[in-house]
Amino acid sequence: MGRGGSHAAPAAASPPWHALPDEVWEHAFSFLPADSDRGAAAAACRSWLRAERRSRRRLVIANCYAASPQDAVDRFPSVRAVEVKGKPHFADFGLVPPGWGAAAAPWVAAAADGWPLLEELSFKRMYVTDDCLEMIAASFRNFQVLRLVSCEGFSTSGLAAIAAGCRNVRELDLQENEIEDCSIHWLSLFPESFTSLVTLNFSCLEGDVDITVLERLVTRCRNLKTLKLNNAIPLDKLASLLRKAPQIVELGTGRFSADYHLDLFSKLAAAFAGCKSLRRLSGAWDAVPEYLPAFYCVCEGLTSLNLSYATVRGPELVKFISRCKNLQLLWVMDLIEDHGLAAVASSCNKLQELRVFPSAPFDAAEQVSLTERGLVDVSASCPMLESVLYFCRRMTNEALITIAKNRPNFTCFRLCIIEPHTPDYITHQPLDAGFSAIVESCKGLRRLSVSGLLTDRVFRSIGAHADRLEMLSIAFAGNSDLGLHYILSGCKSLKKLEIRDCPFGDKPLLANAAKLETMRSLWMSSCSLTLGACRQLARKMPRLSVEVMNDPRRACPLDSLTDESHVETLYVYRTIAGPRSDTPACVQIV
Amino acid sequence: MELELGLAPPNTRPPAAGVVACGKRTFGEAFVKATLPLFVRDGDGDDDDDGARDGVDLHTDNKRKRLVGWPPVKSAHRRSSGGAYVKVKMEGVAIGRKVDVSLHGSYDELLRTLARMFPSGGAGGAEDEAAVTGQHEGRRRGPPYVVTYEDGEGDWLLVGDVPWEAFAKTVKRLKILA
Repeated sequence: MGRGGSHAAPAAASPPWHALPDEVWEHAFSFLPADSDRGAAAAACRSWLRAERRSRRRLVIANCYAASPQDAVDRFPSVRAVEVKGKPHFADFGLVPPGWGAAAAPWVAAAADGWPLLEELSFKRMYVTDDCLEMIAASFRNFQVLRLVSCEGFSTSGLAAIAAGCRNVRELDLQENEIEDCSIHWLSLFPESFTSLVTLNFSCLEGDVDITVLERLVTRCRNLKTLKLNNAIPLDKLASLLRKAPQIVELGTGRFSADYHLDLFSKLAAAFAGCKSLRRLSGAWDAVPEYLPAFYCVCEGLTSLNLSYATVRGPELVKFISRCKNLQLLWVMDLIEDHGLAAVASSCNKLQELRVFPSAPFDAAEQVSLTERGLVDVSASCPMLESVLYFCRRMTNEALITIAKNRPNFTCFRLCIIEPHTPDYITHQPLDAGFSAIVESCKGLRRLSVSGLLTDRVFRSIGAHADRLEMLSIAFAGNSDLGLHYILSGCKSLKKLEIRDCPFGDKPLLANAAKLETMRSLWMSSCSLTLGACRQLARKMPRLSVEVMNDPRRACPLDSLTDESHVETLYVYRTIAGPRSDTPACVQIV
Repeated sequence: MELELGLAPPNTRPPAAGVVACGKRTFGEAFVKATLPLFVRDGDGDDDDDGARDGVDLHTDNKRKRLVGWPPVKSAHRRSSGGAYVKVKMEGVAIGRKVDVSLHGSYDELLRTLARMFPSGGAGGAEDEAAVTGQHEGRRRGPPYVVTYEDGEGDWLLVGDVPWEAFAKTVKRLKILA
């Protein structure tokens, strides 16, 4: 295969820069940190394009419909690690019907054919079948990493194929997938000679696992660093697993229930005492507070604590978290309450990321005492805090302004006030001023979710100030088309926009059609769009795919609908692959 | 097709009282016990709400109207929060559903929701069978379905034995056997 990099007869001591051989450029590009930088380099000239694409090893396809699998394989022939993302983000909350699409099969097939040396495959929000997993196991002789996040469509049969077929697999990372339990003892299909596992995460698996097999696997995989267990592992077995893998860095405890027994507690404490390298801890579902002190000896070393599914509350919880002085990441339920967050604020000064989830999202009656106070305290005392996801039931502009002043270094700010249209609870004003303060102060903000009572004014601020904003989520906000127009005509770096239940209509969409091609995708549901506007958009912008869905349970008979008819859900994304052919009956491409 | 709901009263009685009077022999009769919960699939008489998915329950009285997908928490979070979404699978149907048990007040309501979730198109074989066997009085029915559930201890039991409240607290998932 000819290189094409010419070796010009040097008049000077070395060839002129534009005649340097490809290997030099490939080496230079290996220092570029971001794919976007590599993409920019590739656009400079043909020789750079050639050098860059042939040496690209990692590829992220952020929208599986933006390009075809064959496009990807043709353009980047030497890829070793691929990540493909499918359904839009709102699929996490049930807004995308089953059967919508995002099948992994075409990607696996193209990869099997074009990237035989593939080592890593990662799918997020896609439909992955057992056939896919079998094909993966059969096609890539050096396959090492399989990561499936929020996927569905496969069962323990598929996992068995991976276990049996991938001799060199290092990471099997299953996060929040829907996995059908076929009662296949897939774990026992890892051969006895197999010792290469570094990461094993099956926390989302609902069925039983054979504990003996798991223990043997853990014992012989001396490099195991990450182990995340599911519901099926009882507490005493957890203790014995930890004793077999004291080198563990990341642990998901799975279920932690069981009544308190002193001897069990002692076993656990002793097991944890042996885990000197433990840095990341998650799980503790159904934990009873009396067991938390068993973790005390690892608290000092913990940098990441994910208790987002743990229903434990009270002083034991706060005491435990307060001992984790080196915490950088904390995910917790709102059961921690304001006073608990105040303790976190004073103890965990290295905190970078905080997420607080609602323990009773649908039950307005059962209220925990978690308000804007908790967030204000943490923002005030944790100088490195840059990423927040916070569910609460009340907020004030003053609190937001204070937070903005204290933390101009936010890169991600997602606030969800649970009841739609909730105003400032003291002044009863919209929360425009508060969110405006956030975007004006946090110049590096990349992700923002707004909530509460908001008028078009806040969108004017966001459009004008949020220059680095890449993802924006809006729900039950705004009062007219202007709101959407401000966003689409501003927000220079916007990539993903998702909107639901806002009074935004056709005009701003059509007026800013060109903007949509600079973005990855736009989702609008329960807004004020008409089919006519969608048709116009599709005509005007051939490189956008305009998908319309009205009732997820019924076929969408576009041809019989008039221009004036209401569009319930619009999903628009740029693509070089043309309209997809795998839409279910309820989705139509305009 | 029309809906026939048969549910035995919670306290065990001899077979005759509880069995759906469908007038034809079905395999369900082989399992006839007083507590056999049955439902027969419906046409779509019930589908008159606004077409939203099971997240919106306009038909349940006195329950808060719930928005689909709001607040934006993943389903795993909903489960642990006390909003009791459980998976429902029907034998032979690849794609399951989820139902919020806490939004229902009785077995009747739950079975109605299940009947609506798995409409005639869901398990094609049954529809054919109904067509083949023919029916009386212009009413077509498929075979009754057995609804089972997994409890907190991992055991599979027939729905309907225990009082509704006890069931609602302990149910982890549902499976409809064809």
